[in-house]
Amino acid sequence: MSILYDEGQQAIATESRRVLDARASKDRLLKLLEQVGEHDAPFWDTAVEQGWTALAVPEEHGGLGLGLVELGLVAQASGAATAGAPFLTPGFGVTHALVAAGNADAAAKYLPQIAAGEARGAVAFAEGTDILPAAPATRFADGKLTGSKPAVPGGLKAELALVWASGANGPVLALAELAGAERKAVSSFDNSRLYADLTFAGTPATVLAEGAAATALAREVLARMAVVTAHEQVGGAEALLHIARDYAVTRKAFGQLIGAFQSVKHRIAEMYGLVEIARANCIHAAASAGTDGFLLAAADARLTATEAYDTCARDCVQIHGGIGVTWEQGLHLHMRRARSLAIEQGNLLFWEDLLVETLTGEAA
Amino acid sequence: MSEIETYRAQARAWLESVAPKYSRAARGKLNLSVEEDLALGRQYMAEKYDAGYAGINWKTEIGGQGLSNMHKIAFDAEEMQFGMPNVYFGISLGMPIPILIHYGQDRAWVKERVIKALRGEEIWCQLFSEPSGGSDLAALRTKAEPDGNGWRMTGQKVWTSWAQYCDYGVIVVRTDPTVEKHKGLTYFWVDMKAEGVEVRPIKLAGGDSHVNEVFFDAVRLEDSQRMGEVGGGFGVALHTLMIERYIATDSAGFGPHLDLFVDTTKELTINGKPAIKDGRIRSAIARNHAMRAGLDSITKRAFAMMQAGMQPGPEGSLQKLVAVRSRQKLSEMALDLQGNQAFDFDPHAYVKEDWGTSWLNAPTGRIAGGSDEVLLNTIAEKVLGLPQDHRPDKGVPFNAIPA
Repeated sequence: MSILYDEGQQAIATESRRVLDARASKDRLLKLLEQVGEHDAPFWDTAVEQGWTALAVPEEHGGLGLGLVELGLVAQASGAATAGAPFLTPGFGVTHALVAAGNADAAAKYLPQIAAGEARGAVAFAEGTDILPAAPATRFADGKLTGSKPAVPGGLKAELALVWASGANGPVLALAELAGAERKAVSSFDNSRLYADLTFAGTPATVLAEGAAATALAREVLARMAVVTAHEQVGGAEALLHIARDYAVTRKAFGQLIGAFQSVKHRIAEMYGLVEIARANCIHAAASAGTDGFLLAAADARLTATEAYDTCARDCVQIHGGIGVTWEQGLHLHMRRARSLAIEQGNLLFWEDLLVETLTGEAA
Repeated sequence: MSEIETYRAQARAWLESVAPKYSRAARGKLNLSVEEDLALGRQYMAEKYDAGYAGINWKTEIGGQGLSNMHKIAFDAEEMQFGMPNVYFGISLGMPIPILIHYGQDRAWVKERVIKALRGEEIWCQLFSEPSGGSDLAALRTKAEPDGNGWRMTGQKVWTSWAQYCDYGVIVVRTDPTVEKHKGLTYFWVDMKAEGVEVRPIKLAGGDSHVNEVFFDAVRLEDSQRMGEVGGGFGVALHTLMIERYIATDSAGFGPHLDLFVDTTKELTINGKPAIKDGRIRSAIARNHAMRAGLDSITKRAFAMMQAGMQPGPEGSLQKLVAVRSRQKLSEMALDLQGNQAFDFDPHAYVKEDWGTSWLNAPTGRIAGGSDEVLLNTIAEKVLGLPQDHRPDKGVPFNAIPA
C-alpha cells in the first residue's frame, strides 16, 4: 500500500478533525475525570454516526471495508481532541479477530452489530503486568470461560470481549458476550476509559483460534491495535506541540516572547522531531499491515509514538509554567491520556522486547 | 519492474563489475595513503563517467545524463553499499559544480569544468566558513575590493574540505562593509592554484586532515569569476546549501548500522550474562531501531512525494540532528559494552564499521553542516514560526558591528 495518502484518506482525516473540533468539549472531558463509570458519550455517538465503527468491517457485514490507514487517521483526530472512547480501538481489535479467524457464523452474527455501533468491543488479554501472558490463568473449557481479567479498557460498558485464555491444547482466543460476566469498575487517573475488572464464571464464549494460531492472531490483533493507538498518540502529541508553540508566541517574560528563549524554542523543536518521527512510523506501519515486516513496523510506531506523547505532555506543561498545572487549563487531560494509551496496548517494556526478539530472534 | 528498478539493477551490475578494483573491501587490503586512494578515486570517476553514471540528473547539454532525481538517488543508494573511493568528489559535485552550472558566465568554460569534475580530473571546494564566523555565515570578513575591471581578495577561510587537492573553489566574500552584513556579500569562483592562495591542512581530533585553513593574499579575481549579483552572495550561498538536501541522508548518522550493534551485543557479556539479554541493551536497540525507522520512513515518503511531483515536507531537516546524536550515544554504549577491549583502537578504521572511530568522529557530525543548536533554531523559526533569536547586529552596517 502507498505511503502517500490518497484523496479519500485525506478527506477522512480532514472531516474527522473538523467534526471532532466542533464537538469536543474540554469541560465535559474534565467532568468525566471526576466520576467513575462514564465515558464520552457524545464522542461515541459521533463515532457511530460518522461510520467510524464500520470502517474496518467488511462490506458484506454492513461495513465500509477499509483498513488501518483510515482507522489511524480517525484515531489521530480523536487523539488530538483527547476525546476517544475506550471502544473504538478494541472494537477494531475484535473486528480484526472476527475477520481473520474465519469463523463465518460468529462473523455474521457480531460484525453487523459492531459496524452499527450496537455492540461495543473490549479486548481482555492482560493479566498481572503482562499484556499477553504466555500461560493465562483465565481458563476456557466446554465452551465456557472461567477466571478474571484486571482493568480491561472499556470493559465496564462493552457488550463483547475478546479474551485471551488457556484451553486444553494451549492458548485460546475466545469471544464472550459480557452480559454473562461480572464487572467491577476501576477508579483510575483516566476514568473515561472505563477500566473494569472482568470476572468470568462459566461465561459462554465462542472460540476464534486455538494453539499456535491463537498466539499468532493475538499478536496480530495487539499489533494492529497498537498501530491505531500510535496514531491516536501522535494526534495527541501534535496537538500539544501546537498548544506549546501557540503559548510561546503569546506569553511574554523578561520583556520578550518566551518562544525567543532557546531553552523554550529548542524544547518545542525537539517535540516537533518526536512527533514527525512517530508520524512517519505510523504511516509506514499502517501501510505494511499484512506484510512480513508488520510486527516490526508496529513496534517502531508504538515506541516512538509513546515517547512522543509522553514527552510532549511533559514539556508542554513545563513550557506553560504555573498555568499548565491548573485543572481548568486541561493539559493534564493529555498527560493522563498519554499514560493510559502508553499502557493499554502493551507498555514500552513489552514492545521493546518484542521488537528486539523480532529483530534478532532472541527472546529475553 | 519499473523503469527505476531496471535502472537500479543495471547500475548494480556495473558497480559489481568494477568493485574488485575499487570497493572498500578491495582497497582495505592495500593499506593505501590518502594520495594513492585519491588517485584510484580519479580512475573510478573516469570509469563511472564513461559508463554513463556521472551527472545522472544533470542536463545533457552541460555534460550530464538528463535523467531524474530518482535515477540519481537509485544509483547513489547502490553505490553507497560498495564504499567506492568517491569521498573526495562529494562536495565538489554536490554543491560547487551545480552552483557553477547555475551561475557560471562563460558556458563553454563551465561545460569543460563540469566534465573534468565528473571525471575526477578536477576537484572543487566550498570556501564558506571563517575563523570569526562560526555558525553565522553572514559574519565573514574575507574581502574583495574593486581592482580595475576585477577584484583583489584578501582574508582567510577555514574547515575547507579537501582544499589541499582542489583545483577550484567557490567562495563568498565581503565586497561592501558599509551595508548590513547579509547585503554586502558577493559570490565568486576562485582558482586554488592562483598566486596568493595558501592551503594549510588541519589535523582533526580523529587524526585525519581532510579539512584546511586557506589564506588569500591579494588574490586577483576577474569580474567574470563572479557568480550572481554584486551584493547577492548570501542568496547564492543559501541556494548552495539547499541543493540536494534529501540526497545526504543516513539514519545511522554516518556511523555504523544498528545491525553492527546487535552483532556486538551478541558476542559480549555483562557480568557473565549475554549482553543481548540485558534489558538496558534491549531498550537501546529497540529505541534506536524505532527512531531510525522513523527517519528512514521520512526519507522514503519524501522520495515518494518527489516521484509524484510533490514537494516533500520540512521534516527532512530532522535527519542529521537526530541521527548523529543517536550515533554518538550508541557508539559510547558500544565502547562501554566492550570494556577494556575497547582500548584496542585503530584510528584508520572505517567510521561506519567501527565503534571507536565512529565515537571519536561523531562530534564533527554534530557541528559540520549546521550545529545541533543551529538546526534546532532553524526548525523552531522556519518550521514552527517561533521568534528569531535576539540579533543585535540586525540592521547595523557590517563595519559598525563590534568585532
